[in-house]
Amino acid sequence: MEPALQFLINGLSTGAVYGLFALGYTLVFSVLGVFNFAHGAVFTLGAYLTYLLVGGAVGANGLLAGLQLPFALPFWAALPAAGLLTALVSLAVEATAFRPLRRHRAEPLLYLITSLGAGVILVNLLQLLLGAEGYSLPTTALGALPITLTIAGAQLRSVQLVLLVVAALVLVVLSLWLEGSRSGKALQAVSEDATTARLLGIDSDAMIRLGFAMSGFLAGIAGGLVGLSLSISGPYFGISYGLKALGVLVLGGMGSVSGAVLAGLIVGSAEALVPSEWSGYRDAIAYAFLFGVLLLRPQGLLGRAQSTKV
Amino acid sequence: MNVGQGCAAETVVRVAGSTLVAALLAACGSRPQTGGAGGNGALPVGAVIALTGNASVIGQDQRIGLELARAQFAAGSPQLDLRIEDGGSDEATATNAFRSLIRADVVALIGPSLSQQAFAVDPIADRAGIPVLGPSNTATGIPQIGPFVSRVSAPVSQVAPLSIGAALRQNPDIRRVAVFYAQDDAYSTAESKIFQKVLAGRNLKPVAVQKTSVSDTDFQNQITDTLRRSPDLIVISALPSDGGNLVRQLRELGFKGTLVAGNGMNSPNIYPICQRFCDGLLIAQAYSPEADTPSNRAFLAAYAKAHGGGVPPQFSAQAFAAYQVVAEALRSLQASRPAGTTLAALPRAELRRQLNAALLKGTYQTPLGEIRFTPEGEVVQKNFYVAQVRMNRDGRSGRFQLLPTPAAL
Repeated sequence: MEPALQFLINGLSTGAVYGLFALGYTLVFSVLGVFNFAHGAVFTLGAYLTYLLVGGAVGANGLLAGLQLPFALPFWAALPAAGLLTALVSLAVEATAFRPLRRHRAEPLLYLITSLGAGVILVNLLQLLLGAEGYSLPTTALGALPITLTIAGAQLRSVQLVLLVVAALVLVVLSLWLEGSRSGKALQAVSEDATTARLLGIDSDAMIRLGFAMSGFLAGIAGGLVGLSLSISGPYFGISYGLKALGVLVLGGMGSVSGAVLAGLIVGSAEALVPSEWSGYRDAIAYAFLFGVLLLRPQGLLGRAQSTKV
Repeated sequence: MNVGQGCAAETVVRVAGSTLVAALLAACGSRPQTGGAGGNGALPVGAVIALTGNASVIGQDQRIGLELARAQFAAGSPQLDLRIEDGGSDEATATNAFRSLIRADVVALIGPSLSQQAFAVDPIADRAGIPVLGPSNTATGIPQIGPFVSRVSAPVSQVAPLSIGAALRQNPDIRRVAVFYAQDDAYSTAESKIFQKVLAGRNLKPVAVQKTSVSDTDFQNQITDTLRRSPDLIVISALPSDGGNLVRQLRELGFKGTLVAGNGMNSPNIYPICQRFCDGLLIAQAYSPEADTPSNRAFLAAYAKAHGGGVPPQFSAQAFAAYQVVAEALRSLQASRPAGTTLAALPRAELRRQLNAALLKGTYQTPLGEIRFTPEGEVVQKNFYVAQVRMNRDGRSGRFQLLPTPAAL
């Protein structure tokens, strides 16, 4: 029982991060129909910003070597603050790498190149400024919470539960906003059909910017949570998460919010179930699983089958 | 030209512009950096280190060592022109960097950062007849790549067993052992094989062997599985980022036994990752900042002056030693020439051949201690160490406290 619970929590907490990450991809994909390959870099930035905001110092390398902010926020304040900052960065990515192409109705392939370029710039700037060292958020970031909790005989890291709770909270708020607010419904209308939405008086461009801001916020939150739970293993650590979340997005059904969450939890749990003797092939097994599901259901778990006009 | 064509052209220009800027920034670490002495008869020496990618945490330490060595050996003849190029953290980038420096007609190459890369790129230098000196390639089989390949980094087979011995001296009751290693890294794989051989030699059969990846950050499933088997000792072969993270998660998930880490984690860069959980970690070292030799004292002073204190990591010391070997071998070669003649006047192929021979013949007093080479290019290092990490109260800084080695006991 204890190991099963432990594996379940491990899987769900990993899956929750995948889900949050994939939701960011989903929001942009749903309004523009293209992937934002700078999303992984924004996620990485979120982790670094959270680290700096809780009082972390830059190591011996990088142009900002030794830098430490004159204040230190508690983690609970630093996480949303980092999310807001990454939302701004995501808006900047939209303004420089997406908007000019959209104005000229460029091919979707070009968005791939410009967003990839923006991501590479961000990651290299991080390395240039902060060096390549790894960091962890201070072990005291969770205040009075103990390092581990024992639940039903299973020893769990408190941070895993925090990660699950925060991710669930963010997802609930996002769902309520999407379904219950005018702006959320407007975003959905743009994702259905931007032209029709425009004819109905919805400012599609504003909705696209909103989608990017929300996407950046989610990436920043996910990055901060990973920085707390695991570590920031250098400026490149968002790449593997980015690839995994892309798989999660496809598995859930492109553009489906609930699909992204469900797929994230499934992939995280599937990874947790990989036997230890195969642990080195965890990614290969996760992708093989993805591959298999997509062969059976190409539109993804909760995606809609695309009809082709003839 | 109609409006549509104009827009398309503008779009292409914008995309090309954005991509160009991205490429330029991406290349900020890959631009060759010269020592400034080029063009005045200085001999070009190339260095290919990981300044970008997952291994850049190693490369940035190596750059520090190379730059300190360049400053220390700036005086004297011949003058050297150090050209540092980013080898990335993969084989393709390292190959491009090697080829670029070979085209620049360097007399010797230092690098690459990873053993994995060395197996791909060292044969290129060897075929071109250029001496290549590995600063951190510890996997089995590196000097055997060819006659122009040597290394200053002691092979894992010499360093790794020491820490197992230290762990068993601290706790002779160790019976159950688990092993973690990064299976996608040649160094970690080679080191883990040595660790497992040493453990088998002491009748300690691992209760779990967990394979990870250098880019992994989440080890919770492997740890949960391993801790169910109640190991007394866990032996890790990894690099600072993944290894430090693994140590932290092991301790957080309740592992109270002995932890041994391989030589790849012999870096203060683990401190900010595993923080207070680094405390007690046993590490075999090919370099110890605490070694009391004149070369090391000078190196420590130069490092502290350049960085406002602190102690250098092993990768900086090894890179320093690699540059020192090349510089001193060239000096001895210059000293053997008739007065008034310069090495630069020699045909480059002949100079490289003579340099390789001189390099393998010499004995060098480096921060690593006294080193020399076998005719095959394997380093013969006099001193190795085992240290235990002692973290300070702040949990963010610490030191490698030397443990007595069997010879000293």
